[in-house]
Amino acid sequence: MDNKINLSQLAERLSQEGGMSKAAAEQFVKNFFDIISQRVLSEGLVKVKGLGTFKLLQMEDRESVNVNTGERFTIDGHQKISFVPDADLKERINKPFAAFETVVITEEQAAQLAGMDTETENAPAQEPAAKPAKAEKAKAAAKEETQEPQVKDVTQKKGTRCLLKIILWIVITILVIGLGLFMLWPVIGNNVLEVLERDYLDRNKTEMVADSVKTAAPVQEVAPVKEAAPEKPAAQPAAKPAQQPAAKPAETPAVKPAAKPADQPAAQPAQKYPTIQLNSKDQAKDLSEFTMDDVNNFSMEGVLATHTLAKGETITRVALKYYGSKKLWPYIVKYNNIKDPTKLHEGTVIKVPVLKAK
Amino acid sequence: MNNKQFLSELSDKCQMGADQSARQVEVLLGVMEKIWQDGDSVSLSGFGVLEVKKKNERISVNPTTGVRMLVPPKLVLTYKPSSLLKEKLK
Repeated sequence: MDNKINLSQLAERLSQEGGMSKAAAEQFVKNFFDIISQRVLSEGLVKVKGLGTFKLLQMEDRESVNVNTGERFTIDGHQKISFVPDADLKERINKPFAAFETVVITEEQAAQLAGMDTETENAPAQEPAAKPAKAEKAKAAAKEETQEPQVKDVTQKKGTRCLLKIILWIVITILVIGLGLFMLWPVIGNNVLEVLERDYLDRNKTEMVADSVKTAAPVQEVAPVKEAAPEKPAAQPAAKPAQQPAAKPAETPAVKPAAKPADQPAAQPAQKYPTIQLNSKDQAKDLSEFTMDDVNNFSMEGVLATHTLAKGETITRVALKYYGSKKLWPYIVKYNNIKDPTKLHEGTVIKVPVLKAK
Repeated sequence: MNNKQFLSELSDKCQMGADQSARQVEVLLGVMEKIWQDGDSVSLSGFGVLEVKKKNERISVNPTTGVRMLVPPKLVLTYKPSSLLKEKLK
């Protein structure tokens, strides 16, 4: 498709099919087109059977307007070469579209087509044809009105009734959906609330850890931050639905940092709240959520499983896989004596400890 | 210049028999037709481009009767003379 076949390619094909040498074929094709172009210039007309007619046409002077400046100017008369393909050839070329026939358009079809024209923006050549179609459509509509006003009235009434029905349907469906949602709200709503709450809790935890670090450090931060911190955890457990496992609040650091900061040595914050430089953003986020001092709620006894890290897998992912909670990652780190949990490589073998509540 | 004259001049120029040149012309036209049916164009320097173009469907109006007709899309063989040939016209 869309390849340009040049002289040598054409000659090659000719030599293959016509049994000529390639050089002779090339000469032949060259002569063929040379004669056409020369004779069209000298005689003004060349007819080739099976191809078509080349003709020299004389174009008269004509006036035109410069589109940009609006200036009128004349296009000088010139000659141009026209080509009209042979009727047989024309038919064979058009074979793929031969099934189509010119159709006389009725009024309704014209209206449809006019609508289509405005939507799809067809070729400019089509527009002038479409415009009169629209005008006539309007005329026809006007005629209809004057001739048969009663018929139109009836159709109009029908139209409004139809519209009312549609509106009624829409209202009913909305009501039904609303009712359904209302009935199901306890189920859906609770879930949604839970998810939102968990999100909120997680965010708060990181904030609080940061706060506790600040308070533990020798440089004392302003009081409001500290005050705000304890308030939050107090509010959360109350809001937490009963479905949440009872063990969870205990193992989360949410409550702890508020109580602990005093007895934490000042040197520890750096380790406790790892400064993280990571390739993956996820990892940074995951790890920052919990701290190394979480390893106090469970004792580690024996190996539950050994796990080989896949590409892009983090310790938190492993914790999620074996414990069902990302929050328990520090145990794995501790058990394996990993120095920097943020810099682990693909293929590292990790032992996952069995956890028992203390 | 009609087909007869054209063929005789071609056979003169190629130093072939009239029969043979007529046969070769037929083969050449067959080859070109195949090219066009594949959607390719024949481009020759100094002569121009012969290619098949698709014309979109359109609505035509008979100016005297006002009857509108939908003219179907079609494939048309077109010729565009090379600029070299156009230059010679002036």
